[in-house]
Formats: sequence, structure tokens, C-alpha cells
Amino acid sequence: MKCVTVLKRLVVGAALLGLVSCGGGKDSGGGETAGGGSESGFARGKTLYLAGSQWGDPNTFNPLAESWQAAWPVNDKFNLMYETILSYNSLDGKFEPLLGTLVSRDNDKVVVDLNPNAKWSDGQPVTSADVKFVFELGRRFPGAATAFAIDFISGIKVETIDGGVERLSFMVDKTKRNNPLVILDHLQAIRIVPAHVFEKLLADNGNDLGAVQKLKIDKDPVISGPYNIEHYSNERIVIRRRGDYWGNEALYGGKLPAPEYIIHPIYKNNDHFAIALQKGDIDASQTFMPRIWLKKKDGVSTWYDDAPYFVPGAMPMLLINTTKAPLNDPQFRRAMAAAISYADIKELAVSGYAPDVQPGLIMNQGLEGKYFNAEDAKEFGVTCDPENAKKILAAAGYKSVFKSDGSLDYMTDKAGNKLPTMSITVPAGWSDWEAMVKIAEKGFRAAGMDIREGPVDASLYWPALPSGNFDLIMHKPAASVTPSLPWNRFESVMSSRNWVPVGGDNKMNENQGRYNSPKDKGYNPKVDELLKKIPTLEKEEDLAVAYRELNRIFMKDQPSIPLCYLPEQFYEFSSKAWTNWPTSANPYAPPLLPMVGASTKILWGLQPAK
Amino acid sequence: MKLLKNLLKSPMFVIGASLFLLTLLIALVGPLFYKITMARVGAQYDAPTAKFILGMDDLGRDYVSLLLLGLRSSLFVGFLAGVIATTIGTLIGIYGGFRGGVVDDILNMVTNLFVVIPSFVVLILISASFSEGRSLTLIGVIIGMTTWTWSARAVRAQSAALKSKDHISLAKLNGDNTLRVLLIHILPYIFSYVFMVFILQVSSGILSEAAISMIGLGPMDTVSLGTILNQAKNTGALGDGIWWAFIPATVVITLIVFALYLINTSMEGVFNPRLRK
Amino acid sequence: MLKQYPTFRFVLMRAGWYFLTFLVAVTINFFLPRLGKNNPVDIIMGKAATGLSNEDARKKEEKYLQEFGLAKVGKDGQLLRDAEGKPVKAGRLEQFGNYIKMCLMGDLGTSFQKYPKKVVDVIKEAVPWTIALQLPTILFGWIVGNVLGALAAYRRGVFDRVFFPLALILSSFPFFVFGMLLVYYFAVVLPWFPAMGGYANSIMPSFSTAFFSSVAYHYVLPFFSIFLILAGGQAIGMRSMGIYELGTDYIKYAKWLGLKEGKVLTYLFRNAMLPQITGLALSLGTMIGGALITEMIFSYPGLGMAMLTAIQNNDYPMIQGCTLIVTVSVLIANFTVDILIGFLDPRVKAGLQMGKGV
Repeated sequence: MKCVTVLKRLVVGAALLGLVSCGGGKDSGGGETAGGGSESGFARGKTLYLAGSQWGDPNTFNPLAESWQAAWPVNDKFNLMYETILSYNSLDGKFEPLLGTLVSRDNDKVVVDLNPNAKWSDGQPVTSADVKFVFELGRRFPGAATAFAIDFISGIKVETIDGGVERLSFMVDKTKRNNPLVILDHLQAIRIVPAHVFEKLLADNGNDLGAVQKLKIDKDPVISGPYNIEHYSNERIVIRRRGDYWGNEALYGGKLPAPEYIIHPIYKNNDHFAIALQKGDIDASQTFMPRIWLKKKDGVSTWYDDAPYFVPGAMPMLLINTTKAPLNDPQFRRAMAAAISYADIKELAVSGYAPDVQPGLIMNQGLEGKYFNAEDAKEFGVTCDPENAKKILAAAGYKSVFKSDGSLDYMTDKAGNKLPTMSITVPAGWSDWEAMVKIAEKGFRAAGMDIREGPVDASLYWPALPSGNFDLIMHKPAASVTPSLPWNRFESVMSSRNWVPVGGDNKMNENQGRYNSPKDKGYNPKVDELLKKIPTLEKEEDLAVAYRELNRIFMKDQPSIPLCYLPEQFYEFSSKAWTNWPTSANPYAPPLLPMVGASTKILWGLQPAK
Repeated sequence: MKLLKNLLKSPMFVIGASLFLLTLLIALVGPLFYKITMARVGAQYDAPTAKFILGMDDLGRDYVSLLLLGLRSSLFVGFLAGVIATTIGTLIGIYGGFRGGVVDDILNMVTNLFVVIPSFVVLILISASFSEGRSLTLIGVIIGMTTWTWSARAVRAQSAALKSKDHISLAKLNGDNTLRVLLIHILPYIFSYVFMVFILQVSSGILSEAAISMIGLGPMDTVSLGTILNQAKNTGALGDGIWWAFIPATVVITLIVFALYLINTSMEGVFNPRLRK
Repeated sequence: MLKQYPTFRFVLMRAGWYFLTFLVAVTINFFLPRLGKNNPVDIIMGKAATGLSNEDARKKEEKYLQEFGLAKVGKDGQLLRDAEGKPVKAGRLEQFGNYIKMCLMGDLGTSFQKYPKKVVDVIKEAVPWTIALQLPTILFGWIVGNVLGALAAYRRGVFDRVFFPLALILSSFPFFVFGMLLVYYFAVVLPWFPAMGGYANSIMPSFSTAFFSSVAYHYVLPFFSIFLILAGGQAIGMRSMGIYELGTDYIKYAKWLGLKEGKVLTYLFRNAMLPQITGLALSLGTMIGGALITEMIFSYPGLGMAMLTAIQNNDYPMIQGCTLIVTVSVLIANFTVDILIGFLDPRVKAGLQMGKGV
């Protein structure tokens, strides 16, 4: 009997709990999906929700921290709090002014004028001292996050020209990399930090950069950008518009950016971005959402209304360990490239979000499209053609043995030796990459090559990449669209500049497949020569010739196999709360979230929905 | 024999056992009647048709084939984990319960140690040291090695209760060694209990595999019901209302576990005379 | 010496064993992640060094080794180097010594992956959410399940026939799919509840009604995703135990003695509860790590995700911190139950009064 009473009490309790929660829901639910908001919250009409740039807990907002450590919007090359000197427009390839304006570039120097109106939030002007501080930090502290800059820049010369404008000349370091192209990359990627603030912090911490990097710099930081940190937790980051942002006057004709707040929610599941965008809980996201056409009815939009929906910019590929037999045989690599169904990859792995992949390392699209040569692609490149794959293999003396059920048993080389099963290293759980690898595996095996998918945890994937501890590995070099594309992509895949053999602690941070060993008989010096030369070429026709030559070598040697084209950033938005997003019909900014490079200006273009 | 007769009188047992045998049968001989193909036969997430009654997955593969393979994997993992967990749990439980004292305390400590180390920690750390990564077998072994703790506790309680029974004391007085007492005098008494524990361990093994796969730590060498669900989750099938990516695999898991629970419960009833009233 | 206080002695003995378990567990948790050949710095360098020259990458790697205390540092604050100029890695025992020292000072170190966040801060931020989600759900599910299960065991009849298969099916359901289906139907198809998060993004966390009602609103789906399945499982367990006890000798004996039905039932349920209490202790103990899937499905705040990423990245301090929390909570829960059972279970009690350990 006692039990029954307890039960009754519990049932009543449960009902009560349900009521309370539902009741509470109706109050706050309105605030969440429609406009309004309460006195302690952020009104929907004044708040822009962006997602997909911060996955884990926000840990630090220190601009001197490594990019992977810092939280949005201090990570990556976002311009909301700390700003770059220039912003790069990946649609037209032009440099737009930010803290500075590009004056000229040649093989000796890159010259920019600092904007005399640029100010830090504490009222101090942004000066050459700030620029020098961050660009030359690597000279004082070898492990600094921006230390890579000193390999390219021998010094920054400052002169004051008319109107007190500071003119900075970034001198190309001819003894080291001799590469003005990458200096342009740095000018649109390295964010300037207030030297007066950080010099003081360094002095207070015994000139120990490590100690300064430990500071979170999350309370009223001195910044130059249009938004400053308001609040953050492990669930979201909130930044607030600065009324006194210098650029409102100097760059946007006195206009304020439209959203007063920008909130970046942190989700733990890929699904949630699509759900939130469909529900109107977020306004834009940069995550991969499969089958976007099914989401259109719920207001999810993209750059193009129809396929391919996105603008391509990056090339996920299979890197090949060229030191291992039979992968050291260019014919074998070409056969691999011919065995893969790129159409299946495009359709199944990436929802058709890209134009067809072409042979070679140059896209026939966008800014680099002008370097693409269709005749060469036809003559030297291999496309999906399983019969051709078999022909190449047979001509090179490889034989495949199939089982009675038609599946591959093993393969032998020219000498008749049985070849080991090779595997494709791919991080487990990266579903689009895993799908690409599964499709490639299917093609390889059908053509008689004994290659299997080898998913590993990310903790094994990352160390495997630089150490060369793989047969084939998935990788996306040169993932963001920078001024130095497609040179950057070639450099990442083919450069022997830092060539070291596989083994021990040896690591390579480009050309992880160890292509074109300088110690090898067959070393092709042309590759490194071209890679060295291209950044110094100024005439378009010279560039076209050089890229053409390099791409031919790539197609002949096939040191890696590009699998498809993907956008630099998936740009999906909803017009439920904010309208006037740039699209192919209204291309006033590149298809990137309104915080990246030249797309930051979207913030001034957005209009609240009625 | 009598036991089986009694069991067959229980409708719960009949339903559970036939359901389970049916899934087992489908897993074993299904591939003889249904041509399993991993090739692409349609577009991404094509809806069910008369030919492919459960539609396609994200790679355009036939879901019936995937489910058949997944069912085999899940049953295999369940059995493997169940055998390992029940064996370890029974040995440790029965011995600890019978011996008592410091031995029991030490075994208790070992049991507690296995409770405090989360199984996915062990899974990630161990699979990192295998070149072929996380195989289905490895997952089964690790589930077994980390879930035996509750069987040990359950069996220990039974064994401890039996310890003071007269015939055990008598056997001890006769000078029988511990092993003999355990094997001849205790194990038979709790055998039915151990069997029920086994059934529960199998079902928890199947559910654990699915949960582990959901975290993204599933088997890398084959398809399992868990990896089917995880793949559907990762490719956003639910958000697009693609029910055939979720429901069939879920139904299969639920049915197997449900069948095992039914068997377990009906056995409890049979071993417990009062229930037959 | 303590023979004359058997109860006290019993508690002390148990506490001693649990403390020993704790020490062993902490040691295992320290060494286990370090057994693999994967160095956490290698994982970080794989991500962070792309495109760097070998020289820059080497400098960066050394900086991390020093920052994370994985290499030996000389008196001048510089890395110690071997003959080849490579930094000397700190030995495991040395790291263990440092770890114990820091633990005693209440410092669990700084996370590698969440650098420069302190492990203690990560735990402080995440654990309240995990407890808030799991504790009421587990307790409530446990109570409801056990009451229903006990009723089913005792009443049998129609109630049992309807309720029991339902509970059985519920507990056979993979709970993570259940959670996802809840999201799909109650957040996407019928937008009654939010699909994810711990509170609305539009609200500042504060001690206000708006905040707490938002938390409650976001709590509904995660709560039911665990509660229903948990209650089903508990009910089945309780029903079985109840029925099992109904068949035991002492109940038959009690009945034969002619004891009142109510009295018999009290005995019955008290004994049937024992394994259920053990189960409760286990689930309460493992709740910190067990919330992982719920966190993923609902993007709910909590420690599970922090723990998973820590293990995936060999973030030693974070793994140590998380496993320490799990260890302490599991052991405390088990210890409490051990003691509780010592006083509740007549068999154990009898053993105690005879002065024997259990």
C-alpha cells in the first residue's frame, strides 16, 4: 500500500515537472525563435548568429597564442577584434584596404600605407611600431606564433609621407626564401596587435613570451576591430559592436555595422548546424551540410541557387608515399588516378558541391582558372578510366590475381613478387573524407590494386602526416584561398626544399609524400626551380608558362591525387533575421562568413528582416 | 530436460527464443538467400523500392545488405563480449564470494578498478597500439574486459550466500579442495543464474557496441549496426527525415535485445516456482 | 584492538580498501595514456606546423615540450640537450612525481589542448552541468522504475502484463537513437522544444527567472531521453529481484510462520532493493563519463566531451583530471553503498556481529 502512495506522489511530481518546464518554455521560446528577447538577453533583431568557427571550449583570446589555441574571433584570420593590414578578396583577387592600403609590390619589397585614422580601442593610433612588433616577434622569440614571417621579410622600412601617413616597405629576404608572394599572404593573414600593451605585458612578465601567452586577454582587450568580447562560456561567445570603431568613419562612410551583437554558439554535433539554421536559430554557418537542396524550403541559402551551390577553393587529395614500392613508380600512381570514380566522389561524398575535378593541381575555376590548360590536361593528365588504369598497370608489368568471387586477392610486381596490401590513412569519423576514401578504394581494387581504407583516430592521423608514416593519406593542403594560390598548393605537394627521408624524428611539413628526393638519381631539379621562380614572376604570361610546366610535371609524376574541389569555407545562410547576404546575383563580398578577409564588410551590408 | 519443458510452457520464453533464433538464423543463412552487395546500386539515400525494400545508404549501397552484415557483426560482438565478461565475472565473483576475507577484498578492489576506468579510455588507448586499428574483435574483447564487473558482483553475492549452506560446509569438512568445492558444489547451484547473467551480458554487449560506434569509436574493419547508425548520424540523415537510415537498424537492435530480455525474464520465472502459479 | 567495536572496524576496513583502490587507480590512470608511443606534442605539431620550415617547426616543438613539462629544463630555464642537441625528455617517473606533488597542492595542471586553461577550471565549468543533467534523471528514473517494478512483481496480473513488456521494450531501445528521435520529432518536426544547448543563446547566464526557465526548457528532451529508458531498465530489475525474493526460503518460512502480508513485503523489498542500490551507486558513479552521448546529441554542456577530446589527443593533464573525478565519484558512491548494505543486509549484518569482516 505504501508503494502506491509513493507512486501517486511521483506521478503528480512528474506531471508538475512537465508543466513547469513547458510553461517556462513558452516564455523563453518566443525569445528564441521570434524577435523580442528579455531585459537580460540579446534581442534577435539586433543579434547575428554565426556558427562553425569554434568547436571546443573557448580557452584564450590572446592574439599572440597559436591560431589553434585561440578562440573565435581571435583564431584564424578573422578581422572582428584584431585586424590585418590588408584584406584579400578571393573573388576578384584584389587587396582591399584595412589597417593599411597596398601601394606596390615588386621583387624587392611590398609597400603599404598605414591608415592614419586607424586607432586602438584605448585611443592610441595604430602605428608602424605595432606592425613591427608582431611581424618581427620571431626575431626576439624563436617559438612565437608569427615567427614564420621572418623567413620572408628581412626588415620593415618606415618613412613618413604626406599627411603624416606611415609608409611601410616589407623587404623581401633574398637570402632566405626570396618570396614576395608569401609576404602578400602574410599581410592579409597576420593580425596586428597593440605593441604598447604587449610590450608592457612582456616587461611585467620578465620578457617571457611563454608567460604572456598564458594570459587569456579576455577582459576589455585593446583591439582595433569593430567588435569586442562581451561574454563567453563553453556554450557560446558573444561579441558587441564598438560605437567608436575607427573604420566606421574611415572605411564605411560613417555607417555602423548592422548587428549590435554577434553570437557564436558552440555545438558538439555536425547535425546541429543544419537544424539550427533551418529553425532560424543561427543566421550563417560554415559547416558541411549534405543535401542542401532539401533544406532550401526551410530558408537555407547558398551562393548559387543551384548546383554546385558553392565556390570551389580547396582540393582534398590523396598524398602518396613516393618512397615505397610500388608507390614510387609514377606509372602505378597514374594508374591509381585513373581508377578512381571522381563522379561518385562528387555526388556521394560532397553532395555535388563542386565542379568536376580536372587533372593536375590547378583548378579550371576562379582566379587560378587562367593558368589551367585544357590541352595539357588532355595530353598529360589521367581521368577516371578503369580500363586505362588496367592498361597502365599491365604495361608496367603489374599483375593482379582475383579470387573466384571476382574480388581482388593480391598483386605482383614486374619481378613477380607479391606486393603487400597498402592502406589509405584517413581520420575515423570525418565522414566526407571517409566516403571519398571508400569510393577510391573501390576503384583501386576493381582495377586490381591491393589498397584498403585505413581509418585511424585523429591522434594517429596528425603525427602520421609529417613523419611520412603512411602509404596513402588524405590531406587538404593550402586549405584557404590566399593570394599565393595555386603556387602554395604546388609548394605544399611538390617542394623538396626541406626533404628528409622517412624515419626517426624526421618530419616534413610540406610534400609529406617525399616526392622528388634531391638525393635520388631521378631528382628533377626543374620542380624546385619553378617553385622558387614563380613567386618572383611579375608578368602574367611568364606565370602562365611556369605554371603550365609545373602542372605538366605534376600530371606526369602524379605525386598526389586530387579527389574533388571544395569551397574554402561552406557559406550557408538564412534570411529569416538578416537579409542582403551576398550571393552570385549580388556579389558585393566573397562567399565567406562576415568576419573573414574582405567578407567582413557583409556586416555593414546586412539589413534586419522585417 | 524438465527445465526445457517448463521453459517451453512460458509464452515469454517461446516468443523470446523464437525471435532470437530467427535473428540468428537470418544472420547465419540470410546471405545464402539474399545476395549481399557492397557495390553502389543507387543514388545517395534513395528511398525504399520494391527491389531494395530498405533503400540506400549515403554511398548508394543497399541497406538490406548492410543490415545483414551489421546483424552478424553485432551478434558476434555480443557473444564475444558476453563470453568474456561472464567468464571473468563468474570466476572472480564465485571465488571472491566463496573465499571471503582478504582475497575477496583484493578481488573487490580489482572489480572497482575496472569500474573507475571508463571503457572508452581503454578502447582508444589500446586501439592506438594495434596497427589495424579498432577491429570488431578488439571491440568485443574490450567490451567484455570492461563490463564483467557487474556479473562479478552479482555472482559474488550468490556465491557468498551459498557458502554457509550445509552441504558446502560438509564438503569442506571432507577436505575437498577449493577448486573442487567451487566446481562441484557451488557452480551447479548458480549455473542457471550464470546463464542469465550471460544473456544480459550479450545484450549489453550489443548495446555497448552501438553506443561506442555512436561516439565514433566503432569497428574500422566492418559494418555493424552501430556504425550504420553512426554513419546515418554523421551524414545528417535524421535532419532530412531519411527514416530508413535509422529505423531499421534501431528496430533490429531493439528486437535482439528485447528477445534476450524475454528469455532472461522467462528463465527467472521458471527457476522461481512462485511465478508459475 | 578495535575488536570490541565491530561496526567501526568494518567501516574503517572498507575505507582502507577504498583508499588503496584509489591510489592504484590514480597510478593506472597516470601511466595508461603514456604507454602508447603517441606524444601529445606530435599530435599538436601535425596540426600546427603545416607549411613551416623544419627549423621553425623544431623550435615550436621544443617550446611545447618545455611548456607542457615533457622535457627537462636546466637551472638557467633553458632546455637540457643531449649530445645531438635534442631536448632530453622528462621520464615518466619524474612526471608522476610532479603530478602527485601538484595534486597535493590542489593543482591538476594546465591542459595541452585547451591551453592555457587550467584543468581545474574545465572541471569546475563542466561538472555542474553534468550533475544537473544526470543526478535528477538517474534518481528520478531509479525511484520511478523501482516503484513500478516492485508493483509489477507483487501485483502481477493485468498491470504486469501491460506494463512489463512496455518496460522491456523501452529498456531494449538504444538510448542514443531514442534521444535523436526525440530531437527530430519534438524539435524539428514539431518545434515544441529546443534541439540543443543548455540554455537559449539569447540569454545571459544569471540568477534570473528568464535564465532558469530557459535552462528548464532545454532540459526537457535530454531528461526524457535518459529517464524513460533508465526507468524501464530499473523496473525490470526490480521486478525480477522482487519475484526472486518471493521464491526464497525465508519468505516461504515467514509465510509458513504466518507473518502478516505487510511484514513479509517489507522484508521482501528491503532485500530486493539491495542489488538495485548497488546499481544506483554504479550509475551515479559513472554518470560523469556516461553523459558523453547525451552531450553529443543535444550539444549539452558537460564533462563527457572534454574527456573524449582529451583522450583522443593524449592531453595527459586533462585525462588525469577527468579520470580523477570519475575515480573519486565512483569510489565514494560504492563506499557509501557498501556501508549502507552492511547495515541493511541481515546476512552481512550477521557477519558483522560475529566480528568477521565481509
